[in-house]
Amino acid sequence: MWTNPNLRCLLALAILCLTSFVHSREIGSQGDPQNLKCVTHNLRKMVCTWDISSKRRHGQTEFCYTTECFKTKEKRVEIPVPESSTTVKITTYSISGTAFTTRRFEIHKKDISFVPLTPRILSLTPDFSTFTLTLKWSDNGSAFPYGLDASWEIEILRKETMEDVTRESYNSKLTHEDIIHSWNWKSDMPLECTSHYVRIRHYINITQFDGHKDWSDWSPVEVVPGKDTEPSGSGLFPQDTVVAVGSNVTFCCVHEEGRQVQRMSYGAKDYPLIRLSSRSSAIRVLNANASDASGTNIVCRMSENGMDGTVLFVGYGPDVPEDLSCETSNFVIIKCTWKPGRASGLYGVRGTKYSLIESISGKNVSCEVNEMKKERICGFPVLADQKTYSFVLGVSNPIGQTEASLLVDLNQRVNPETPEKLTVSGNSSTSVRLHWFINGSFAEIRLLCQIEISSGHSEQKLHNVSMPGGKFSTYTAQLNALHPYTKYRFRVRCSAADHFWRWSDWSGTEEHTTLEAPPARGPDIWRERSPSGKSLRIFWKVDRKLKMSVWSLMDFFVVFVADNVKTDRAVAMGNGIYISWNSYPNMTCGYIVKWCHSSGSEPCSVDWQKFPSNTTDAVIKSALFRPGVRYNFSLYGCKSSGYQLLKNITGYTKELPPKRAPNFTVEETSSDSILVKWEDMPIEDCQGFLEGYRLSFAKGEKDALKPRLLESGNPELKVKNITDLTKKSLKILDLQGKTSYQLDLQAYTAGGLSPPNSLYVVTKEDSVGLIIAILIPVAVVVLLGVVASIFCYRKREWIKETFYPEIPNPENSKALQFQKNICEGNKSLKTLEMNPCTPNSVEVVETQSAAPKIEDTEMMSSKTDTIVPEDGSDSETENHVVVSYCPPIIEEEISNPPMDEPVGLSQVVYIDIQSMYQPQIKPEEESEIDLVTTAGYKPQMQLPVSALKIESRSPAEEESDKTAGYRPQANTNAWNMDTPDSPGSVESNNENASFGSPCSINSRQFLLPPKDDEDSPKPSNTGWSFTHFFQNKPND
Amino acid sequence: IGLSPPGVVPFVALLLLQRRPVAGRALLGTGSACPTNGLCRANVQEQTRRQVALLNATAQDLFSLYLKCQGEPFSSESDRLCSPSGIFFPPFHVNRTTERKEVMVAMYKLFAFLNASLGNITRDQEELNPTAKELLDRLHNTTKTTRGLISNLTCLLCKHYNIFQVDVSYGESSKGKSAFKKKQQGCQVLRKYVQVIAQAARVLLPHLSPA
Repeated sequence: MWTNPNLRCLLALAILCLTSFVHSREIGSQGDPQNLKCVTHNLRKMVCTWDISSKRRHGQTEFCYTTECFKTKEKRVEIPVPESSTTVKITTYSISGTAFTTRRFEIHKKDISFVPLTPRILSLTPDFSTFTLTLKWSDNGSAFPYGLDASWEIEILRKETMEDVTRESYNSKLTHEDIIHSWNWKSDMPLECTSHYVRIRHYINITQFDGHKDWSDWSPVEVVPGKDTEPSGSGLFPQDTVVAVGSNVTFCCVHEEGRQVQRMSYGAKDYPLIRLSSRSSAIRVLNANASDASGTNIVCRMSENGMDGTVLFVGYGPDVPEDLSCETSNFVIIKCTWKPGRASGLYGVRGTKYSLIESISGKNVSCEVNEMKKERICGFPVLADQKTYSFVLGVSNPIGQTEASLLVDLNQRVNPETPEKLTVSGNSSTSVRLHWFINGSFAEIRLLCQIEISSGHSEQKLHNVSMPGGKFSTYTAQLNALHPYTKYRFRVRCSAADHFWRWSDWSGTEEHTTLEAPPARGPDIWRERSPSGKSLRIFWKVDRKLKMSVWSLMDFFVVFVADNVKTDRAVAMGNGIYISWNSYPNMTCGYIVKWCHSSGSEPCSVDWQKFPSNTTDAVIKSALFRPGVRYNFSLYGCKSSGYQLLKNITGYTKELPPKRAPNFTVEETSSDSILVKWEDMPIEDCQGFLEGYRLSFAKGEKDALKPRLLESGNPELKVKNITDLTKKSLKILDLQGKTSYQLDLQAYTAGGLSPPNSLYVVTKEDSVGLIIAILIPVAVVVLLGVVASIFCYRKREWIKETFYPEIPNPENSKALQFQKNICEGNKSLKTLEMNPCTPNSVEVVETQSAAPKIEDTEMMSSKTDTIVPEDGSDSETENHVVVSYCPPIIEEEISNPPMDEPVGLSQVVYIDIQSMYQPQIKPEEESEIDLVTTAGYKPQMQLPVSALKIESRSPAEEESDKTAGYRPQANTNAWNMDTPDSPGSVESNNENASFGSPCSINSRQFLLPPKDDEDSPKPSNTGWSFTHFFQNKPND
Repeated sequence: IGLSPPGVVPFVALLLLQRRPVAGRALLGTGSACPTNGLCRANVQEQTRRQVALLNATAQDLFSLYLKCQGEPFSSESDRLCSPSGIFFPPFHVNRTTERKEVMVAMYKLFAFLNASLGNITRDQEELNPTAKELLDRLHNTTKTTRGLISNLTCLLCKHYNIFQVDVSYGESSKGKSAFKKKQQGCQVLRKYVQVIAQAARVLLPHLSPA
């Protein structure tokens, strides 16, 4: 086929033609309408817009839809919204009217957009006091079907820079009417602080519309200009605002151009500044505390000494009223009271306001309340023909409001006014009439009034009277059964009788005395014959008042007195005295108990009480009875022939301890006993039936510092209880002689012990024992003296020979041997040699230069004993004159007085009694001592010490030693003041121990007369004494 | 006080009504001339001196208590807050050498102003500080003394100079002002009052001393 030239030619032509066609359409599309868009604002009509692609100048455009065509120069047409779809033809023409192109568009409903019309703000109103903006606009609902949901967006902007503050939503329903909506927005800062802007847009949610739905455009902004935009605007905002505690508050300071805010304070505290504009700054206070009554000051300090301020009142909203209660006192006004609860902290014009609203009648009243009082009161008028009231108490203050409600049946809430004008009238002795007025209208209720009756001698009584109420009436009540001639006091209060609510206050008190009345019965009589028997005393009682008269004795009555009328004791019972008696059958007309009241020196007043014949006991009571007072009762029996005294009775209403103890004296004392006697006590002092006496005694001096005898804790206290009241004396035995005793005597009754009466007694001394105690020692001493004298007399020769031979021969003297005998047994001793029985305290000094060492020389002493040659002949051959070495004795070692005596190194020891007690020289030390042998008289002076020094001697002693004159050859310092049997003496075993008194050594020379016995040395001195005896024979 | 009651009451009523900043003419008596008799008591001069002395003695305490009751920063910044420069206060340019008649007239103007201002302050504080009993008592007492003082001055002016009409300025009322402004105005008036009353006491002493 393609090889055929014709076919090839036709194909080429066709392609050419087709190419030509296509080119013609592109040329034509240069004026084509395109981008057809249709938007509806109300679902009825839509606005379609399109573009024309060519920029060539074109003329009108013909727009055809359905059957209608019209020409327009714009590229926008408004046509009805099609039901589902429609075809439109848009033809463009040149300026000359030539059609460029024609274009058809198929418009479906889903391609149509729904955008509500841009809303328009009708008004924007500021409320500066509440920082609130009120926005009003129309929803244009008439353009839409009924019931469409509409959403609104409202945007708030602030400051000159229009910063977003918030974007709020608001929803509504379209009602096929143009509705004006209102919306409020409360700013967090005063509107004066800076400009606020508002704009709005909306969206309609049409569910049946298939096309695209969109928000409308924003409306033009509306502005509320701030004070900072006003040329002369200035101030601190907000002014005098009230907020709740805990609120956040912004304060702004608007000032004139050119000034600067330096600082802003809230109270005493500065806050950081927030710049709002060139003329406005702010601070923000968070969680504000309750302010003072006058509020919290906010001050803005500006440059150029500018200053402005405001006050913020921070308080609480009103509390719910508590204890709301309403009542009427007069059926004219209903008085409602309540407690306000927590204080708001706001006062004056900002204080809490109350209003009382009655729901049934719809009436309300405003309550004037005193803020300073805790309880609030508000009155509401009683309404005619209305008994039930439904009250609502409205409470409000700038921060909030609340309420409390109460439903009241007024008849059940009656608290009548206080009765007034109380008067008492009456001309009777037993009844009165009371009149009083109550200011109120109580015609519809009954009143219950209470009358208080009181008189001088009776308790208060309450008398209730119920009566119908009246309108501002005077009420009357009669009181009967009053006592004649009695002064009464009356007062009245009232309440509602049927529905008691509260008593009124008491009226004032009125006094009234009832009239006198004739006596109801005759007087009660008793009579008594005077002691002389010539007169009669008649007693009578009228209404408990006792009277007496004395009459001459006539035969008025006869009282039989039995011979042996016994006296009983009565028993106290309560505040009376219980008396009982046997039944006496012949006492036909009863009994009478008579007693007498005695008060001091006045004669006792008689009183009596009558009892019927069948009575056998009674409790006698009287206001005159006093405890501790003895009352004597007489029981009389009544019989036809007269009264007979049956018995006497004594008793006490209450026994008390005796007022005092009986007086008592000591009648007799011996070395081991005391006899005390006491007196009877007067009855008036007993104050009860005396039951006995209590005598307490113990050793004791009359010393106030010592505890009292009756106080507890005295172990030596002895008590004797005397219950035999006839006994008036008591002998206390087994006491110690010459000892002081304290005696306490008390009387006692059933009421207790009296105070004690005290005496101090010293027992006598036991003379026989004393005499024996003196005589026995004297006799013993005398006897011993006699025995000693006899002994000494019989042994006088021996004593003389022993101690005081006429020619003392040391070799023959037995006296000088006894030491050897004592210390070494029976060794013969021809010469007096100082045996080792030396004093105990000896210190041996080996070297001359060294100071002697002080040691306890008791052992040395025994050693010395041992080193004494047993063979006395050795010693004898060596020395006829025994030179004894005595080492220096240290004064501290003073148990051996002779050793204390300073001894020279070459001291010759004289063989005499005195020399027996010279310190002994140790044999082994003899060679070391330069002995200076001297014979004859030995001066009683201290010999010079050349070789040894007595270390322990005090300078004073040394000084003393240097003094001339007589000096005892014993160390006076060493005189032992102890008794011979003292431990020191025994320990020292010192032969030379004295009896404790210093004495001259010279006085120790025994001058005994010569004895017949030749062996005995003859004493050169006949003087003798016990002292010498004991001194020289210590070991005997 | 030295003035009989009929002469005092109309004057006080006039003061109380004059709360606006006006310059008024106070009538010292009920008529157009001084009463001929019964106007002054014997010790009116001494009483006047004592009243001024009393006001002078209590002024500082009143001012201090007022500041304390207004809250901070009134106490701490009283110099700045209470500066009386911006308020009206009647001129009191008298000294000891000023003629006695002029002193009396100046005093009358001063205390007439003070009486009105104290009334305003008392009213404001009863509203702002109803719980500040001591402050209110002091304000009441000061106002009463001022009132008595005015009566005595009225008497003296009439008796000695036959003056029964004085032009007075009452200053600006605080009614309707903000709470802060009320506090501040009271503070300014009382501060000035403390200063002027001391001067008045000094000046009045030689003029009212017993001859």
